[in-house]
Amino acid sequence: MASRGTEKALSLLSRLPRIELQNLKPNPGAKKNRTRGRGIHGGKTHGAGSKGSGQRQNFMRLGYETGNNPFYLRFPCQNYYKGHHLKVSYVPLCMGQLQKLIDTNRLRTDLPIDVTQLINTGLFNIKPLEKEGGFMLQDDGMDHFRATVNLEGMDHFRATVNLEVQWASEATIAAVERNGGVVTTAYYDPMALEAAVNPIPFFKRGKAIPRRMLPPQHLIDYYTDPKNRGYLADPKLVANERLKLAQKYGYPLADSAILKPTDAKLKEYYLA
Amino acid sequence: MSLTLRLAFYPRLHCVVRNVVTSCSKGATDTVVVPKSSGAPLIIQDKWKDDKGAVEGREAWVETLDNSTNSTQLGLIHLNPRIFASYPRLDIIHENVVWQKKSRMVNYAHTKHRSEVRGGGKKPWPQKGSGRSRHGSIRSPLWKGGGIVHGPRAFTTQFYMLPYHKRVRGLISTLSAKFAQDDIKIVENLDMPSDEAGYLEQLCEDRYWGPSVLFVDESDIMPRNITLATDTLGHMNLMPVYGLNVYSMLKHTTLVLTVGATRLMEEKLLYNLDRPDGRSLVTRFRK
Repeated sequence: MASRGTEKALSLLSRLPRIELQNLKPNPGAKKNRTRGRGIHGGKTHGAGSKGSGQRQNFMRLGYETGNNPFYLRFPCQNYYKGHHLKVSYVPLCMGQLQKLIDTNRLRTDLPIDVTQLINTGLFNIKPLEKEGGFMLQDDGMDHFRATVNLEGMDHFRATVNLEVQWASEATIAAVERNGGVVTTAYYDPMALEAAVNPIPFFKRGKAIPRRMLPPQHLIDYYTDPKNRGYLADPKLVANERLKLAQKYGYPLADSAILKPTDAKLKEYYLA
Repeated sequence: MSLTLRLAFYPRLHCVVRNVVTSCSKGATDTVVVPKSSGAPLIIQDKWKDDKGAVEGREAWVETLDNSTNSTQLGLIHLNPRIFASYPRLDIIHENVVWQKKSRMVNYAHTKHRSEVRGGGKKPWPQKGSGRSRHGSIRSPLWKGGGIVHGPRAFTTQFYMLPYHKRVRGLISTLSAKFAQDDIKIVENLDMPSDEAGYLEQLCEDRYWGPSVLFVDESDIMPRNITLATDTLGHMNLMPVYGLNVYSMLKHTTLVLTVGATRLMEEKLLYNLDRPDGRSLVTRFRK
């Protein structure tokens, strides 16, 4: 936190008059006086004209906003917004941040790290209603929750983890697998994600725990691709890709200990 | 609704006995035990060695309220820079003060609107034919003695809740600002040889404390002598750590903290700066 600026401010303060209730004031511009909201921009009719249909039936032409620059003219056409209602965004999870979570005992490495574990750290929030689809593993070490570590997080990632995220790049997969870890990318449908993120309100509803649905059509390719370590990919092909990636990045491929359930009921569940 | 910030209870790690400091921390590397008879200065170490802040730690004299001793300065205390040397956000201090003032403010002013004023049910004169303006009620707001439109209504409160972290930051900023201005004094405890108000007034005058002084101790059970001495003094007040708030700190010129109160405050505030469930506190307060 603190810096030279803090020292400067404190030393300045020591030479200034005593801070008292009488001489405190808000930052300039922070306080806004209330206005009554009458008569601004001419008042009267707000562009709707006087008498007749214009005033009474409100038969203004479609999109006309009584003198404002209309919404449909306000922005130029942006093609990258095409299909935005289908697009899913992800909460970034940086490698440096992940390492710090493990170092500070906020995450256990003897358990699979998935959405539930990450949410339980209390540092993240996923909003499925706002089309957030889970976590995205990012290759920068810029720390999102406290910008103190400015290292390349990938190079400094030293934990062996069994990680399940919703999106991961090749470099981040390599960083995890270099340390003998496992990455899986898995899809959460919004319902299942909501249950994982806010379990208490979900259980209060008294509904059965939903099965995770298959990914939508435009995401099937991603999650069946062994390069992305998709959960729908063929495990043999995934093993092959692990080897390829190890050769590409030049690290020995360790036999990773895959954490599997030991409970008989769970085993039966997963086999089914 | 209490005005003070009720911080979560956090177990104390330090126990300070007269001239003997024991630390109950895991490593207990910073334990300093100074016997009283040796006459060596007492240094109370900061426990938080791993602090990553760029600001240097602060130090303060540990004084005593006993004027009969050779030296009123007993030793030195290391203070955590995250609490006593953080950036003084004067705007957040101001927000805290406004919040404290407003949340206790209740407006008793009251006016009646047209339906509440007595009478006025009958139409005063016919609509047409009298040559006078049309009126339906003698209590219309246009009339003298009529109702009031949009007048003040009792009881309106201006109560609202300041966000949790702003309350924490306000306390820290105030402590840092007051410490930078040399308005925070640390005493070993609040024990005094006399229970007279004059003794305390003279002591504060000799040490350039005050004119108004707030004494803060760990718990709300204070030593007998200082309780009696401050009883008749309106400008010298006692307060436990759990009641400490921004407004009171600023209302008093000097803040006198006991060693125990200082450590308790540091622990509570540090916990609140780094608490793991900080996100869950950022919810809208509902009345």
